[in-house]
Amino acid sequence: MPDQSHVGRRYEANGQVVDGAGARAFAQAIAGSDEVYAASVVPPTYAAVYCLFPTLYQLFGDAEVGVSLAGLVHGEQSFTWPNPVRSGDVVDATAVIASVEDKRGMTFLGIDHEAHRQDGETVCRGHSLMIIR
Amino acid sequence: MSAITNSPLTSAVVGDQMTPLARTVTQEQINAYADASGDHNPIHVDPEFARAVGLPGTIAHGFLEMAILTEAVARWAGGYERVGEVSCRFSKPLLPGETVTCTGHVVTVDDSNGTAALELEATSSSGDRVLTNGRATVRLAR
Repeated sequence: MPDQSHVGRRYEANGQVVDGAGARAFAQAIAGSDEVYAASVVPPTYAAVYCLFPTLYQLFGDAEVGVSLAGLVHGEQSFTWPNPVRSGDVVDATAVIASVEDKRGMTFLGIDHEAHRQDGETVCRGHSLMIIR
Repeated sequence: MSAITNSPLTSAVVGDQMTPLARTVTQEQINAYADASGDHNPIHVDPEFARAVGLPGTIAHGFLEMAILTEAVARWAGGYERVGEVSCRFSKPLLPGETVTCTGHVVTVDDSNGTAALELEATSSSGDRVLTNGRATVRLAR
């Protein structure tokens, strides 16, 4: 189980190419059977794919931290997008364990995310709160 | 459905209501989101697994709901590039076949940097508040 000693652990996923076809499929999935909104733009929450998941899966696979996926719930999420990301951009993503708290018999894991484009500009900052029951 | 591109929002006043966005989320859409996002957690796509862990059946990805909430903000503000921040709490599950309705209102306007902040919420057609503590910041066009 995560504990205080894991705060500060950092995971990196460098050189993620923002895939245009992938972003279009993502936009279509958001729309469902409705018309896709702003089809030529990468949806901001595509950050889940280019920023969060590649680093989170490393964290979840970190045996020393020992996150139990069976009891894992995504509690809260925030995103800030200082600059747009476009298809073809190459993004470096990081995740850092920001906090570990035990409350009401559950563990609350706070994770800070950041992603930069090839020109160094920040395209996404995020904070995830994961609850492990 | 309204026009796909609307003109960018140039001003906002505290209390302004965001144009609500309602979307019915089917299992087919949840499956498509699983494929597009790479999140194939069985609670979203495998009804038997979902029931075995105490859910009424599969549930939508919280991130799918958050994506629809972000689209609602973008439609109101006049484009995804106008959306600076979005945050929310995943409070209750949204089940396939239910309609999620995203609402919001302006809580602050900062004329010095041309931004407006909103409080947001998403409710399901069964009456659950599925996304709570929602916040967004939009960049007003000048």
